[in-house]
Amino acid sequence: MLYYIVRRTAYAMPIAFGVSLVVFSLVHLAPGDPLSAVMGEIDARLLAEMRAHFGYDKPLYLQYFIWLGNVIVGDFGVSLRTGMPVIGILLPAAANTMVLGVLASALGFTLGTVAGMVSGYNHGTWVDKLVSSAAISGVSMPHYWLAIILVIVFSVELGWLPAMGIGNVPTLFSWAALKHMILPTIALAAIPGAIVARTTRACVMEILNMEFVEALRARGLTERRILLHVTRNALPTVLAVMGLQFANLLGGSILVETVFSWPGTGYLLNLAIFDRDMPVLQGTILLLAMFFVLTNLVVDILQTVTDPRMSRA
Amino acid sequence: MNRFRSKSVVMVLAMAGLALSGAALAQKQPLRIGMTLSDIPATNGAPDGGFEGYRMTGYTMFDALINWKLDDPKVAPTLVPGLATEWMADAKDRTKWIFKLRKGVKFHDGTDFNADAVIWNMEKLFNKEAPHFDPRQSTQVRGRILSLKSWRKVDDLTVEFTTHSPDATFPGQTAFVLLSSPAAYEKGGRNWAKTALLPAGTGPFRLDRLVPRERAELVRNPTYWDAKRVAKSERIVLLPIPEATTRASALLSGQVDFIEAPPPDFIPRLKSQGMQITANAYPHFWPYFMSFREGSPWLDIRVRKAVNLAIDRDGIVKLLGGFAVPAKGIVESSHPWFGRPAFDVKHDPAAARKLLAEAGYSDAKPLTLKILVAPSGSGQMLPRPMNEYIQQNLRAVGVNLELVTVDWESVRNCRRAGAGTPPCQGTDGVNNSSQTMDEFGAFKRVYGSGSIPPAGFNYMHYRDPKFDAMIEKAFNTFDDKLRTQLLAEAHAHLVDQAVDVWVVHDVGPRAMSSRVRGFVQAKNWFQDLAPVYVAD
Amino acid sequence: MSPSRAPKVTVSMEVPLGVTQALDVPVGTLQLRTYWQTVWQRVLRDPVTLACGGVLLVLIAAAIFAPWLGLSDPFASDSAKRLLPVGSPDHLLGTDELGRDMLSRLVYGSRLSLTMGVVPVIAALAIGGVLGLVAGFVGGRVNMLIMRVTDVFYAFPSILLAVAIAGSLGAGVANTLIAITIVFIPPITRVTESVTTQLRAMDFVEAARASGASTYAIIRTHILGNVLGPVFVYATVLVSVSIVIAAGLSFIGLGASPPDAEWGLMLNTLRTSIFLAPLISILPGFMIFIASMCFNLISDGLRSAMDVRF
Repeated sequence: MLYYIVRRTAYAMPIAFGVSLVVFSLVHLAPGDPLSAVMGEIDARLLAEMRAHFGYDKPLYLQYFIWLGNVIVGDFGVSLRTGMPVIGILLPAAANTMVLGVLASALGFTLGTVAGMVSGYNHGTWVDKLVSSAAISGVSMPHYWLAIILVIVFSVELGWLPAMGIGNVPTLFSWAALKHMILPTIALAAIPGAIVARTTRACVMEILNMEFVEALRARGLTERRILLHVTRNALPTVLAVMGLQFANLLGGSILVETVFSWPGTGYLLNLAIFDRDMPVLQGTILLLAMFFVLTNLVVDILQTVTDPRMSRA
Repeated sequence: MNRFRSKSVVMVLAMAGLALSGAALAQKQPLRIGMTLSDIPATNGAPDGGFEGYRMTGYTMFDALINWKLDDPKVAPTLVPGLATEWMADAKDRTKWIFKLRKGVKFHDGTDFNADAVIWNMEKLFNKEAPHFDPRQSTQVRGRILSLKSWRKVDDLTVEFTTHSPDATFPGQTAFVLLSSPAAYEKGGRNWAKTALLPAGTGPFRLDRLVPRERAELVRNPTYWDAKRVAKSERIVLLPIPEATTRASALLSGQVDFIEAPPPDFIPRLKSQGMQITANAYPHFWPYFMSFREGSPWLDIRVRKAVNLAIDRDGIVKLLGGFAVPAKGIVESSHPWFGRPAFDVKHDPAAARKLLAEAGYSDAKPLTLKILVAPSGSGQMLPRPMNEYIQQNLRAVGVNLELVTVDWESVRNCRRAGAGTPPCQGTDGVNNSSQTMDEFGAFKRVYGSGSIPPAGFNYMHYRDPKFDAMIEKAFNTFDDKLRTQLLAEAHAHLVDQAVDVWVVHDVGPRAMSSRVRGFVQAKNWFQDLAPVYVAD
Repeated sequence: MSPSRAPKVTVSMEVPLGVTQALDVPVGTLQLRTYWQTVWQRVLRDPVTLACGGVLLVLIAAAIFAPWLGLSDPFASDSAKRLLPVGSPDHLLGTDELGRDMLSRLVYGSRLSLTMGVVPVIAALAIGGVLGLVAGFVGGRVNMLIMRVTDVFYAFPSILLAVAIAGSLGAGVANTLIAITIVFIPPITRVTESVTTQLRAMDFVEAARASGASTYAIIRTHILGNVLGPVFVYATVLVSVSIVIAAGLSFIGLGASPPDAEWGLMLNTLRTSIFLAPLISILPGFMIFIASMCFNLISDGLRSAMDVRF
């Protein structure tokens, strides 16, 4: 087991390296000079000086290694547009996205698991049909569209909840703060919730069809005990899906954050793309991708740890 | 019962007392403003984000030597004394300008405003060798004050500026140079990024809190030097909400009190909820600037006139919910600079077809124009539907308009680099709204042959010796009335030459909740936020 | 031979935005005719899949034959006729913010939106499929190289990767197609590689090799034949994802650009009219939803009909 964990972790290293290379190359694919896009009317000599200052006059491969070296020690450079350190912009944004990600996961995963279980247990009944329809709608839903509809209904027509932003609240643990999070959370939770529901339902159905459940029933176990077994067997798969969904939530929040002007990494990414602010763009993509790598690592390990077959072995 | 009543009377009195004292001081309710910008504009005195940036974090926290008059909704942009009380060109050498500074003004950090501070600010913006030179701030300002050559302290309250050549419009150019405190820069560790968090100006508000991309909170400066402009609101909160729909929704759901540029289709709804809508024409026009470089079809005046005649401006105004004015030139026809052009810019597709036929174009051999456009941007109004509408108008007269959509910065880059350069991607023109606030910015910067890039902003490469001569004469005329007359003649000439495709002037719609008081929308890109407050 | 009794290889399949599940691919020298007949009969008994197939057929036919349907010009604007309500004479689904016919724009919009849904999947199938086959069949260092590069691209959330690529290349339909194709290549490569590797080790393939069958013949008869079905199921899910992502890119300004009619772009531009014409404003989003859902449901239906479990 320990050997597996070490090996899996070691394998994540070259991936992380490759990811950083892809991020760097992607951002440098962008046509045009990064500085003149941001600095605007600027004369050639000053531009050359600034290029040297930011290190854009060096060969690309050198720029990459310098950037990588800095990133490893936590220095993501400074924003070309504002001159502020990227890390100072990135961390609060990541925290804001994380808050939504955690809430949306909590909501989506809870609803998804419960609905999936109920529907899997009651395969073929109207409950199952209802859950399945809701789930298929959820996975097919353009969530940015859902976000727009939520704003119209709950902010504008009913006036119950704020339409945008994070509000000005001293603490995240207050009703005022939570109010701002409800709509983006729902919009973000739709897809992962539906996916978890579908996965759980499929898993439960599969396990219920297995011979050992029959055997358990034959041995006179209560339904509650059987449920426990089913849960235990479904857990690794469901966990894996959840992990992936959580990481996807953080990386894919750009559309919903844009609709709600939520000051997270997605919104930051959107701004950085249109501002052509390369250091910010690089930093944001890298951070999100690295988080994805890390989540995958943790999920793989967790899946191994929770797999009943593995622990028996 | 009795006791209860007496208690409540006391309470009412106390509350009334509070309310009274509150009114004497300032409204405690913060004024929350939804901006169209996607980030808080720079706070060091040279805001980015175009003129909206200047409006929000510029003239709120800083003053220029000469400010804009913003309290009269009727007059065209007018200059008023700011941190300078008077200014004049040297009668013998018209390139020298003396500015007398206002006495006893203090920056928000308590240090004195004086000639040294002015010189320090000039170095910050225009002297690349100065240790505190900031290229970011310089970029925002330099192009707006191209006449400036040098500066010199005469005494503590007098500064002398020298221009490259005699230029009567120089005072208007100084209105874009906002003055910030040197001491704040020292306090920020001589680091502009840090100084941005605690800048000090002299304006009616000072920065209290800055959360990049989220909010900036400005608090009133109770000791503002102009007693008439001491802020009525205790606090202004600036929120970047670039999505028009989100901005309007935020107003409707009570998250903000005041928004810039509500989408026209939201306005009926906003009104029905009791929101106030304000609008006023301001020195803005929404054109296509076209290439005059060799090989451009635009060199043929018949083509220029035909395209102008093909556009149904009333239809576009309707599209904008009535929040625009058809453009017949770079300024409105009631503006003192409009003059008496012979060419009437109106919708006449038949005449347009005729002109095009004369120029040798037909349905078999149609004229094709490629325009660089952006999906959004400061002053761009609703670029997408407007451009598509024009595309249809031109199709009706047999002109094929191709829209090349790029992001906002790319459009600006093309305009800076000039027609025919790589950033323009082979287009014949660019859709970038323009300002006519100051004489230099309106005329010479855009149409003067001396302003062809990289020297200036004449994207078109428009070379017109007659226009140059007219404008030189005007800029050399130090009598304001006479100069206005000369500018009107120059403008009439531009219209007769049908230099640009003129479409509409914006009227800058703004929406605010019914509790917002005191907002007077000036005919200006800038607005005074000092008298605005939210009533309880 | 009943398909469910065929030997199976298990593959982990992941849908971007999504699902990782075990995919059991029935393998063997299937008597294809009987197999597909069975599948077809099952589909015929499945009303949901049939209905979705019907909806998609109508959508695709309308997209292809749009110019011959007698629709109004999707680009002809008229500011006097802005935002006419659904059910107006001459404008069955009303008009948009420029007074253009919504029905016509939705139909023409389906051309771009469906193209952006289908083309990246086909392109990714071609590229990722070949990469996976090569990696699986050749094995060794080639496999190592291809799969490690795939892993790196796999380490990005799909929307993030699409946005990052489209953002770097700049707005435009072509760049969106490229971006989404790149997003889909890694999962397809992985699936194909995994199936190929497992199949290669199976007895009947070994037998075919031993009997001197050429590599090409083995791939064609044994591997492609066995993989195509499940991959097709998988591809229909990807199309649904692709439609949603492509429209999303257009929605934030990275995809199609005006005057193109495209559902995501229409959704974006009609947002400002949501109070004047709520029904019209949500129509493009509804189309994205319907198209995406139909592809998902068809995938579900095919999956159970083909007895591909994943």
